[in-house]
Amino acid sequence: MTFSVQKLLRTFLIYFLLCLGATVVVVPLFWMISTSLKGPNALFAYPPEWIPKPAIWRNYIDAFKALPFGTFFINTIFITVLAMIAELFTTSLVAYGFSRFNFRGRNALFMILLATMMLPSVVTMIPTFLIWRNLKLLDTFDPLTVGAWFAWGPAYIFMMRQFFLTIPRSMEEAAVIDGANVFQIYWHIMLPLVRPALLAIAVLSFQGNWNNLQGPLIYLNSMEKFPVVLGLKFFEQSLSKEAPMWNYMMAMSVVMAAPVLGLFFSAQRYFIEGLNVGATKG
Amino acid sequence: MAAYLLTLSHWLLTGAAVLVLMLAVYGLLKALKARQVTAVGYALVLPWLLGFLIWQIYPFAYSFYLAFTDYNVLQPPQWVGLANFKHMFFDDPRFWPSVRLTLLYSFLSVPLGMIGALGTASLLAQEVRAVGFWRTLYYVPSVLPAAATALLWRFMFAGTGLINTFFSPVYKLLHIAPPAWFSDEKLVLPSFVIMSFWGVFGANTVILLASLKNVPKELLEAAEMDGASPWTRFARITVPMISPSLFYVMIMGIIAAMQNFTAPLFINTPGGAGTFLSVYIYQQGFTQFKMGYATAVGWFLMVMILILTVIVWKFSAAYIYYEGETRKGD
Repeated sequence: MTFSVQKLLRTFLIYFLLCLGATVVVVPLFWMISTSLKGPNALFAYPPEWIPKPAIWRNYIDAFKALPFGTFFINTIFITVLAMIAELFTTSLVAYGFSRFNFRGRNALFMILLATMMLPSVVTMIPTFLIWRNLKLLDTFDPLTVGAWFAWGPAYIFMMRQFFLTIPRSMEEAAVIDGANVFQIYWHIMLPLVRPALLAIAVLSFQGNWNNLQGPLIYLNSMEKFPVVLGLKFFEQSLSKEAPMWNYMMAMSVVMAAPVLGLFFSAQRYFIEGLNVGATKG
Repeated sequence: MAAYLLTLSHWLLTGAAVLVLMLAVYGLLKALKARQVTAVGYALVLPWLLGFLIWQIYPFAYSFYLAFTDYNVLQPPQWVGLANFKHMFFDDPRFWPSVRLTLLYSFLSVPLGMIGALGTASLLAQEVRAVGFWRTLYYVPSVLPAAATALLWRFMFAGTGLINTFFSPVYKLLHIAPPAWFSDEKLVLPSFVIMSFWGVFGANTVILLASLKNVPKELLEAAEMDGASPWTRFARITVPMISPSLFYVMIMGIIAAMQNFTAPLFINTPGGAGTFLSVYIYQQGFTQFKMGYATAVGWFLMVMILILTVIVWKFSAAYIYYEGETRKGD
């Protein structure tokens, strides 16, 4: 009898703590959305207005008009998609090479690859900037997209390699007997098998490029080339002079977060699997 | 429109060039009578190898040179010897406060985030219903763009913002004035740490939960039979079993925290009290155009990250338990 009471109490405590944590996660998110629908006078109202009355959906339209956010979105999509495709293609090829071909010097090269994960980007930032400057490609989308063909992201290569290692070799051996070449094996046999890893990397890469501030901040000057994050930064600067228009800023934050959240929710199973392969099977 | 087409054409050309180079390397190695695996292997890892040489080794070497120069982009770099480092360590009034903020932030936010993540993961490992739901929910803050998170917390930390409104009964009870958070020089660091706590522990929770699920049940049950208390079981069995994941989370956390960039750029603080080292490097290089000096500070940051990583690595080497590995002396 006492045992079951104790068990009940334990279950209650677990769910209580989980709900407490969930509140801490959800309340700020809810506040962000709620603020984005408020008029300027309701922003700091006391007591806090949880559900704005009336909800001003026009904030979204007005914020979009305050700065060319439509263009910013097209730019962000353009940058993110190009970088993501190149990253997926090259990181999976490189990972295939590292996991399946025992060439001379492979282990040394792989150790170097892992070491580069620790190299902070601020050290290479200025020389990299100078390379693009010498190429006369500052204030273009090139520095944010073209470099992705060189297998950006050692973490992605590592994650992908771990996935390739879990696939039995017999799969390819049959294809080799049938006379398929390396690229055919990679494209028709290996890639379909590592689809969860590809999707996980697609989400991570999308997230990384979509949210990246450092690159655009350094390379882009003209406003018509800004991605959303720079627009948000610009917005913040121009508005902080007078009363900050938090409602507009929150509206744009919601719009910026929506695609990343949507992608995360639709691919979260793979996303979480990919995350775990990188961390626990190392 | 022209801007898109320009980049698109460069992007397509570069992609094609990388493929052609891969084939060329394969052909070359075959012509040199290399083994098939070597030829294919090098051809496949070529994109990374090229990237490593062009975007890492060359910038790395060049930045080492730049750190000893005075360079304002317009004139060629002037060799100044150790002047940048001398200025950094002895004359620059903004350098040490920035180092202090960055280090303290890492020391506070990483362990706190790990404890939060481990606690949450332990709860979720207790045969909870709808684990997927909770896991996803806790993950959401780490998917949000850092820019959006920073703006949101700046808004909530405002003088009459949500957080002060929520805690106002507490302030009244203790007879203290509502804190000004990001607007108070002394509270900038705690504010950043609190904000990071919301953002980081989602991803870590997912990683730690997966490794908690891999702890063999027989071990825990055997210990329970022998009368080990829940705490002993946790400290003596669970923690050692998941130590590789804890180590991974910690190293990655330190590397990320030391390079905190986006959030501080979106948060105004009095007198630049919230200038993290990465932000300081960016400001010196790209708003003051002191590229040589900025690179020198960048090298300092890198050496600090390296030292911290080595310290964590050395200290934890004795504690990490890798399955299937026998330690020397065992």
